[in-house]
Amino acid sequence: MLHLPPLSLYIHVPWCIRKCPYCDFNSHQAEGDLPEREYIRALLADLDEDLRWVQGREIHSIFFGGGTPSLLSARAYEALFKGLKQRLTFAKDIEITLEANPGTFEAEKFAAYRKLGINRLSIGIQSFQPEHLQKLGRVHDREQALRAIKLAKKAGFDNFNLDLMHGLPGQTVEQALDDLQQALAFKPTHLSWYQLTIEPNTEFYKRPPQLPEDDALWDIQEAGLALLAEHGFDHYEISAHCQPGKASKHNLNYWQFGDYLGIGAGAHGKITLADANVIYRTQKTRLPRDYLNPDKTFLTGKQTIEPEDIGLECLMNGLRLREGMLVDDFEYRTGLTLEAVAEPVAKAQQLGLLNVDKRIYPTEKGQQYLNELLALFLTE
Amino acid sequence: MSQLDHIRNFSIIAHIDHGKSTLSDRFIQVCGGLSDREMQAQVLDSMDIERERGITIKAQSVTLDYKARNGEVYQLNFIDTPGHVDFSYEVSRSLSACEGALLVVDAAQGVEAQSVANCYTAIEQGLEVRPVLNKMDLPQADPDKVAQEIEEIIGLDATDAVRCSAKSGLNIEDVLEDLVANIPPPEGDPDAPLQALIIDSWFDSYLGVVSLIRVKNGSIKKGDKIRMKSTGRDHLVDGIGIFTPKMTPTGELGTGEVGYMVGSIKDIHGAPVGDTIVSAKFPDVDALPGFQKVKPQVYAGLFPVSSDDFEAFRDALEKLSLNDASLFYEPENSDALGFGFRCGFLGMLHMEIIQERLEREYDLDLITTAPTVIYEVVNKKGEVLMVDNPSKLPDPGVIDEMREPIAECNILVPQEYLGNVITLCIEKRGVQVDMQYTGTQVALKYEIPLAEVVMDFFDRLKSASRGFASLDYNFTRFQEAPLVRLDVLVNGERVDALAVIMHRDNVRRRGASLTEKMKELIPRQMFDVAIQAAMGNQVVARTTVKALRKNVTAKCYGGDVSRKKKLLQKQKEGKKRMKQIGSVEIPQSAFLAVLKVDD
Repeated sequence: MLHLPPLSLYIHVPWCIRKCPYCDFNSHQAEGDLPEREYIRALLADLDEDLRWVQGREIHSIFFGGGTPSLLSARAYEALFKGLKQRLTFAKDIEITLEANPGTFEAEKFAAYRKLGINRLSIGIQSFQPEHLQKLGRVHDREQALRAIKLAKKAGFDNFNLDLMHGLPGQTVEQALDDLQQALAFKPTHLSWYQLTIEPNTEFYKRPPQLPEDDALWDIQEAGLALLAEHGFDHYEISAHCQPGKASKHNLNYWQFGDYLGIGAGAHGKITLADANVIYRTQKTRLPRDYLNPDKTFLTGKQTIEPEDIGLECLMNGLRLREGMLVDDFEYRTGLTLEAVAEPVAKAQQLGLLNVDKRIYPTEKGQQYLNELLALFLTE
Repeated sequence: MSQLDHIRNFSIIAHIDHGKSTLSDRFIQVCGGLSDREMQAQVLDSMDIERERGITIKAQSVTLDYKARNGEVYQLNFIDTPGHVDFSYEVSRSLSACEGALLVVDAAQGVEAQSVANCYTAIEQGLEVRPVLNKMDLPQADPDKVAQEIEEIIGLDATDAVRCSAKSGLNIEDVLEDLVANIPPPEGDPDAPLQALIIDSWFDSYLGVVSLIRVKNGSIKKGDKIRMKSTGRDHLVDGIGIFTPKMTPTGELGTGEVGYMVGSIKDIHGAPVGDTIVSAKFPDVDALPGFQKVKPQVYAGLFPVSSDDFEAFRDALEKLSLNDASLFYEPENSDALGFGFRCGFLGMLHMEIIQERLEREYDLDLITTAPTVIYEVVNKKGEVLMVDNPSKLPDPGVIDEMREPIAECNILVPQEYLGNVITLCIEKRGVQVDMQYTGTQVALKYEIPLAEVVMDFFDRLKSASRGFASLDYNFTRFQEAPLVRLDVLVNGERVDALAVIMHRDNVRRRGASLTEKMKELIPRQMFDVAIQAAMGNQVVARTTVKALRKNVTAKCYGGDVSRKKKLLQKQKEGKKRMKQIGSVEIPQSAFLAVLKVDD
């Protein structure tokens, strides 16, 4: 029997100063002044249509992702929050994260963000090495990266994440560790340290850069993980590391098959309707100009997750977590009993990839070979 | 129906890229066989694979009406022939339906060995061969020299050979005039009872079995009751006509004519190639000499990736073998790959094409094992066994003698590449038999183990001579040789489908390069995979595919779930195409690794 899981809100801001060659998110180069006011109005109208899916729940977390959400002014956010609060109930301990890119940092703006209730920043540093920043096509340089972090702290963000990439073109173990060291010096509460992968529909896909060999990648990975562990970071998800208790609530909700409304151009959502015994995935119109066009609908896609896919879809994210998820949560949120996936679970246990007690979670080997583990849950 | 003396049946003998297809397209155009709109380049090569690779595999025919300069209209039946060294058997079949052949030679490149061999076949079969010098549009064309070469190598007078360019259209009508004037009309008795030869048969899913036939005597009409000489079965003729090259019903084929027959024959063995068709009313007519059955030169195991496909695979082979008498197959059971078929092919190209046709036309996923030739093994009891499968080689202890097939190779090569080619022949354990300097080319005769010839000799020869050398080869005899079986063990388990037979001297070198190649092809898995090459119990080479240390997992938040799922699915599809040997997953390509090994 399906239960209603916690509800988060994702808000997409689809503009960047420039599109990075590795980025496959829905981001568009900003041309001239951003239509902030129109966009905020559209977001709220979009949300109005989704309110039917709230079903009495309070909002557990909000995430402003992009694109570059820090391109929008504090005034824009002020208007937006006003509208959000009129429509939704925020949980008392709500986590509100905003993604920010160095190069968009101004002291005043960030102080104002903080005042509005944004209580977590995720800063897209990617690297401190000038050569790597350049290869990644980032608009910021090393100085701006350092300045951004300082400024964020000064503005009152004591809970912040730094995004760092590794496995960069020509990267050595020393360079990767140096990036981590410099980040650690700022005592972030959270580090997203993820490997550069080449995704379809990106500039890098068309003109692939020369990436380090597999063995070099693994050396980087091992050295980096050791360093993060030394500094007391909890490696709680494939590429997410946090200080104790500082895991991203919002992302945890994704990974544990929680619900989320997605508003903004190209935003995805996932919604459970317990009474109808159905789970939907939703998508909003992708292009900013369509999103802003009152003649076009916001919602462009709504698919029911097919019963045979629910188990996989839940575990595909759940098993990214070192601690996986509670078996109870798995059952409540998928409407399945664990029995429904008994066969792949048994096979995974036999291969030493999975543990099940009160929780269902990957073994160390399962974390290493996550793809092999998840492939077991694919139905024909 | 045309009068006998207004019919000309002919083939074209030409090397792969000497312009046969372009020339035949020109003929069709001159005779108005197709409208411009229908005129697709190289119409006769109808199989996808043929067009893609630019080669002809199967015989096809086209009937054209040519209005000659003398004002008379002639029916020209052109029977296309394949040009690759693997398919000489098909050539002689096509030739048997003709009274003459055009020998088309590239006026810039000169004669090539396969054409020489086919030309001899044509002359032996009593055909009038007319040389034609093509590609006169090329600046480097040297027709006098090439004409001299034709005389020296083949012994045909080429002084008045038509000089044309199929590409530019130069002198195309002269070729047809020469053909009409010099190739004799067919002989036969229109009033005698029916006697017709099946040149080719193929299976059409709408029509059933379609046969390309040549009427020798009498005539055949729609509605006739005919009898197949070999099966003794009677069939009603449902359809009869010609290829223009479109299938065009005419209701009747007369003496000397070439065309198709559809006879409501559902069983694919009902109209075997080379069979004689007679009238059910007058069945006491002699069978025409059929075709000599060719022996396959190369054998390989073909296995469906999914065992559910076995029945479909068997059906597909049955259908393919109907119009490819050279394709041999029998069930094979491999420990590693399950149930499949051991198939015999004319050569490597033939094997590739059959595999491609099976995968494409019959939608099968197949694993092919490394090809091998057939070996003669004498055991201690003095019995002679023929071994076409390395894993079936008896225990060395009971073997008295092993013999490998030797091929006589005729190679034509321009003088400047002679050194390279001789070096290659020696590397391939060849023994020189003869060497003749003629015109601009040297004619070499070598005896080379067939195993070396069928693997990559042809490709190597081409690259050693910038594509100019040409090759024709025939099996001559079995000869004793120190042969051994090289086994491949994956994590200690012998994989029968990976065994190869080779010369003892090559074992270490090939064992090492084979294991290295396998290492490249086998993806890293969750554990180390040891690959060993062994001769009996003696390991001659080993490598290890190091365990995958971890999967690369991209970051994933709410949005990208469906893409992530597709990625997993794709991964799983990829795995389906691998074979599980013990706990190790081995991709198809690894089974052919032995071919990719550079010496």
